[in-house]
Amino acid sequence: MSTRPMKIQQLLELLQAELLTGSADGQIHGCYVGDLLSDVLASAKPDVLWITIQVHRNVVSVASMKDISAVLITRGRKQDPQTLAEAEGAGVTVLSTPLSAYEAAGRLWEVGLR
Amino acid sequence: MDNTPVLEWIANASDGRKVTLAQLLVYELRVRDAMHKDPVTARPSDSLRSIQNLMKTHRISGVPITQDAQLLGIISIEDIINALDKGHINEPSDKWMTSTPVTLRDHYTLVRAVAEFDRHGFGRFPVLDACERLVGIITRGDISNALVHHLEKRAEEAVAHEAVLVAERQADEKVQRVVLRTPIKSGDFDSAGRVSQRMREVLRERGIDPDARRRAAIVAYEAETNIIIHSIGGELRAVIEMERVTIDAIDQGPGIEKVELAMEEGWSTAGPMARQLGFGAGMGLPNMKKCSDRFEVRSELGIGTHLHAEIDLKKAESKT
Ligand SMILES: Nc1ncnc2c1ncn2[C@@H]1O[C@H](COP(=O)(O)OP(=O)(O)OP(=O)(O)O)[C@@H](O)[C@H]1O
Ligand SMILES: [Mg+2]
Repeated sequence: MSTRPMKIQQLLELLQAELLTGSADGQIHGCYVGDLLSDVLASAKPDVLWITIQVHRNVVSVASMKDISAVLITRGRKQDPQTLAEAEGAGVTVLSTPLSAYEAAGRLWEVGLR
Repeated sequence: MDNTPVLEWIANASDGRKVTLAQLLVYELRVRDAMHKDPVTARPSDSLRSIQNLMKTHRISGVPITQDAQLLGIISIEDIINALDKGHINEPSDKWMTSTPVTLRDHYTLVRAVAEFDRHGFGRFPVLDACERLVGIITRGDISNALVHHLEKRAEEAVAHEAVLVAERQADEKVQRVVLRTPIKSGDFDSAGRVSQRMREVLRERGIDPDARRRAAIVAYEAETNIIIHSIGGELRAVIEMERVTIDAIDQGPGIEKVELAMEEGWSTAGPMARQLGFGAGMGLPNMKKCSDRFEVRSELGIGTHLHAEIDLKKAESKT
């Protein structure tokens, strides 16, 4: 799907993102934007960065079910500590960006993540 | 009396490629396993006439002549016929016996015994133990009979062993059946995904291929969230077996008015609360169907909804 994977570390600067839980060593192989859980369940590919405004713990369930290793929360929203702990347990890296989903996805597209 | 065809068959079967059980047995079994033990014997002073009578009563064709368990010679049916012919049937056996006959040892393998029969052409051999005592007598027929007997025994053992294996496998399958049941409360969004989570752990432990694992988890999760969002409460049941996962989501109502409509992509009656949490895309049911190998929804207004889904499992291909 994507031409080349991207390090999560690169996202931190590119998207002015903050690492909420997990590790910046991981890689993403594409991106999926969606706030409707069953849409993500139906269509997202494994190992993508999932961009969403949702912060409920169901996001962690869906991510780990789809083997999505990184979630980017938009508009500066943050998950509560318990949800973050669950994400850590499930091996899901969570980032938060002040950008909107549109802006974040646009920047990723621009640097060549397709 | 001689079952030589069996021996010939064993010899011919050794085409060098497949080793038959009979061929293994002739190397495994010993002369002592096939011989007649405690053979009928006579003393050197016994007349050939008395030996003729012994042969008749015991239906045997050779009688070893012994003294104090030491083998001195052997009288065969041919010797008796000669004696009748030549008129010395009343003379003592030691005068006409074959003295110091060729013998076999009781520890020889049967394959060696067969070779000795072929080499000497005798109908029978006396068998001696390590202390030179006469312990038996053996014919070709005895060897064939022993082989047939042991083949039957092995076959019975194999059948019994197979039965044990089948019983063990059935017991295993029962152990390998995991049943997960969870009551699901209406509106309990925080608990969504419990069964799905547990199921994924079991499937991962079993080395199930990730795609099947993911599909089973999605079906369970979507079924669970539908009960939470759209029903007054129910139960999710997942049965995990080696070959498949079976999911039954049963709720107490209100039921779906038009199931065909609910199955359409994008159709949703989810309320604002559920939508805020990311539900209500109207993609749950169609995706469940896509993820399942068998799928059925039955619903009755005022009674409830029963969703049944099966996902076939296979082991992940190991990269060898
Ligand atoms: N257990 C149920 N009881 C009553 N109605 C149901 C039940 N399950 C589904 N429905 C009806 O079928 C519709 C479609 O369900 P589906 O799972 O496809 O989408 P959804 O749950 O509305 O949204 P999504 O699953 O995408 O979050 C629901 O909106 C609801 O009207
Ligand atoms: Mg649904």
